[in-house]
Amino acid sequence: MPTNRQRLIIKTAVLTLMAAGAIAGAAGLAVLYGGWYNIGATAQHYAFIYTVLEEGMKQSVRNHADDIKAPRLGDPAQLQLGARVYRDKCLQCHGGPGVAQSTIGMSMQPIPGPLVDATQRWEPNELYWVTKHGIKMSGMPAWEYHLSEEELWAVTAFVTVLPSMDTRSFKAAVAPGEAP
Amino acid sequence: MRVVAMAMLAASLAACTSERLPGGVVGDPVRGKIALTQYACQSCHLIPGVPGSKVYVGRPLSEMGQRKVLAGAVPNDQAGLMRWIRDPQSIDPHTAMPNLGVTERDARDMSAYLLSH
Repeated sequence: MPTNRQRLIIKTAVLTLMAAGAIAGAAGLAVLYGGWYNIGATAQHYAFIYTVLEEGMKQSVRNHADDIKAPRLGDPAQLQLGARVYRDKCLQCHGGPGVAQSTIGMSMQPIPGPLVDATQRWEPNELYWVTKHGIKMSGMPAWEYHLSEEELWAVTAFVTVLPSMDTRSFKAAVAPGEAP
Repeated sequence: MRVVAMAMLAASLAACTSERLPGGVVGDPVRGKIALTQYACQSCHLIPGVPGSKVYVGRPLSEMGQRKVLAGAVPNDQAGLMRWIRDPQSIDPHTAMPNLGVTERDARDMSAYLLSH
């Protein structure tokens, strides 16, 4: 049998937790429905929010791409196909060495990164997974239903050779020509 | 004593809130900071005060006010920095930094922000 004193302590603890929960809930609803949060893309994230979201994205991609095994990449025909896919589907948001993205890609938040350093951050199977499935809430679309398996690996292969390209060779690779 | 402390506090607060521009620099650094993010500058450069990924595709833009020369070619004053931002190929034809079509006003405000941080 608990003593009166123990009963009082438990009662106080339970009531305090309930009150704290109710206040937190009310505060959450006020923020949600008050519209105070600036959803505009001209206002930047707080640095720690950006960092947490980016880390979560990285770990999710690592985990989900883990089972994918990249085929051998980089033969010239594949790189040519990859360059055409890059030109038509990636360039407008990501740009390339010496080539600016279009205004669509300039003012997004989060900003679509340059892909010239992508191989420092991602393995080829991860680049393939991101291209195929996209990234929620980032503006990165999923290409699974719009590109063939061959095109997905081709554009992955092209991204892996971007660091070796200068402005001139990149411009030549994405020059206007036949569609993929 | 207390009055002096209050005055010093007020002065330091004022220094924090109002952006003080270095001599000869014009433009709106608050607007310039936003403009930097609207031309995707932070996608390649680390910029003081702008959250983003750890990227080193372009050089970090910290302490731009202390640099003497841009791209080893032009003096790092506001005019030189604006020219670099608007047309980098006119200074270094081989640079991988693209011409992003920055307007004169936006480049002025961007340079005002960069030169005061």
